[in-house]
Amino acid sequence: MSQQKVIISVRNLTVEFRVPRGILRAVDGLDLDVYEGEVLGLVGESGCGKSVFAHALLKLVDINGYIKSGKVIFDGTKDVYSLGKKELREYRWKDVALIFQGAFNSLNPVMKVFDHMVDTVLAHEKNVSSEEIKKRSIELLKMVRLDPETVLGRYPHELSGGMKQRTVSAMALLLRPKVLILDEPTSALDVLTQKFFIRILKDLRKEFGLTMIFITHDLATVAEIADRVAIMYGGTIVEIGNVEDIFYRSRHPYTRALLNAIPSIVGDISKLKPLPGPLPDPVNPPPGCGFHPRCPYAIQICREVRPELERIDAVSFVACHRWRELKFD
Amino acid sequence: MRWVIRRLITAAITIFASITIVFFLIRVMPGNPIDVMVAQLIMQGLDPEEAYRRVLAIVPFVPTDPLWKQYIDYMRGVLSGDLGRSILYAAPVTQILIYGIPWTVFLISISLIISFSLGIVLGMYIAYKRGGILDRFFSVFSSVTRAIPPYVIAVLVIIILGVQLKLFWDPYRGPIIGPYDPRLKPGFTLEFISSVFYYATLPILSYVLTTFGIWVLQMKSSTVSVLGEYYIMAAEARGLPERRIVISYVGRNAILPLFTSLAIAIGHIFSGSVFIETVFSYPGIGRYISASIGGRDYMVISGCFLIITIAVVLSNLIADLLYSKLDPRIRFR
Ligand SMILES: Nc1ncnc2c1ncn2[C@@H]1O[C@H](COP(=O)(O)OP(=O)(O)O)[C@@H](O)[C@H]1O
Ligand code: SF4
Ligand SMILES: [Mg+2]
Repeated sequence: MSQQKVIISVRNLTVEFRVPRGILRAVDGLDLDVYEGEVLGLVGESGCGKSVFAHALLKLVDINGYIKSGKVIFDGTKDVYSLGKKELREYRWKDVALIFQGAFNSLNPVMKVFDHMVDTVLAHEKNVSSEEIKKRSIELLKMVRLDPETVLGRYPHELSGGMKQRTVSAMALLLRPKVLILDEPTSALDVLTQKFFIRILKDLRKEFGLTMIFITHDLATVAEIADRVAIMYGGTIVEIGNVEDIFYRSRHPYTRALLNAIPSIVGDISKLKPLPGPLPDPVNPPPGCGFHPRCPYAIQICREVRPELERIDAVSFVACHRWRELKFD
Repeated sequence: MRWVIRRLITAAITIFASITIVFFLIRVMPGNPIDVMVAQLIMQGLDPEEAYRRVLAIVPFVPTDPLWKQYIDYMRGVLSGDLGRSILYAAPVTQILIYGIPWTVFLISISLIISFSLGIVLGMYIAYKRGGILDRFFSVFSSVTRAIPPYVIAVLVIIILGVQLKLFWDPYRGPIIGPYDPRLKPGFTLEFISSVFYYATLPILSYVLTTFGIWVLQMKSSTVSVLGEYYIMAAEARGLPERRIVISYVGRNAILPLFTSLAIAIGHIFSGSVFIETVFSYPGIGRYISASIGGRDYMVISGCFLIITIAVVLSNLIADLLYSKLDPRIRFR
């Protein structure tokens, strides 16, 4: 990684939801820097807060939730959470676009695909003709290997899952965003479509020089597409590093456990439980290190003091009190 | 297209079947209506011979014929627009219906449009401001209006706006009820038309008061569920203007399930007008329904029943056709 310009910087981000049992903390004091031009894989068990985090990057929260604290700085200067209504609208999709985990449900069922494209462009650029929008859409749809003429005139329910996924991806690129977040874009696709989609993503990256945050369960995909990997646990990032470092020289006990539980790195962690013991309850998170109830190396300090995400080299970070002393092999 | 034709045929069969049912109800119901009508006339002082002849003139078939022949006569009558005669009004039933239908359609369609639109707008607003003052007010309001019988609300409206505030009060004739000022000559004059609207205000208000709370609640819950959909957050993520999201993404989808209820409400346009028209002496189908039931005017009852059936069947048909236009997901089913 030659250029080290930070495009998105997240500091101490906390997102909470009001639930019948009390307050659920889905993202808990999360820190993360995303570098321009990189593909960052974000990996974690189901329910650890990946989607909530992805939404919060665009200042989107479900109606029963709120961003409790934290900052998201885009491109060094844009403080996303203090943007006005209009600036926020401009930031969304033009600076950072997001392919939702529910990409299948992210199209308005009563609108044709083309009308979605029109809405998206007109929200950001005035005086663009319908032909111009059509031209751009056709170009992008071709790039994701869809037949533009049929897709544009269709309603969402007339498209297959894979087609919807690619349609949404084309829509995400309409405004040439700097950053593209993909929230488990492949997990609902069959294996062939997955491979196909990953290939398309690689092409797109070459074409646009996109920065991507790629959220997934699938470590094989991460190995294939990501430059760096961030491991998430209990609403926060516990380790970040280059792909090889994470896979072969990880320092956090959780990352280790996660990888050890998988026979080879071609595994999908959604289908297995990496460790004994339940995930932490986000309504009553454990004090200290969130991982301590399941960690075989936990000592007294782990139960009391929360470890900071510490920089250990140019691109690697880890949040563990004992990372210096622990030897896994 | 084949689907449309199929729906049309089903509608025709439904209407046909209900006419048949009405006929057999009149003919074979215990306490034979023919005998009842004869007895009624005898009690009014006619001799039995004369009474029987009168009844024969009223029903569009001959009661001594075999049943199948009576049925065919009746059917032929219905198809040619002869529904028998009314004993109460001494007029053909068809004529009564033709007079009554426009009044009811006028009154209830305006009421329904106001009630529905109000419900849509308020329901959406409340869904956005969940837990706010208006939300709490409406939960109470709609349970109150549901607990009070509609005619009580109508009477309250008359007492408050008519009798107390004298906003709808005629110094010579008391509170404003009826279709229009009887001193005016019906016609396309500004005076007459404004009188029609003036007289319709209180019934419309009563209808709206008793029904719009339910639309509000339905729209609220529908909106709340649409707001939880991914495509709404996705639209926000794309930076669409708020207005566009509210109208074309939230509103457009939230309103869809209400069309079924709207179709039902339109179908009940005649049966649902009974209390309003009775309280306000409004000369629509609703009042003929209550009067004919009270006076055992069987041919009018069956004529009204026919109109009600046709309204329900037609509104369902139109709703189905319209729904497939509004919701592309239905189109290919
Ligand atoms: N709208 C919501 N209301 C309450 N809890 C929520 C809501 N959205 C997410 N959560 C909770 O937040 C946590 C993180 O969810 P999510 O980000 O979807 O996990 P994942 O890592 O699988 O994407 C989970 O415990 C989830 O139940
Ligand atoms: S801080 Fe302690 S409990 Fe947490 S991962 Fe490190 S050793 Fe385990
Ligand atoms: Mg998720």
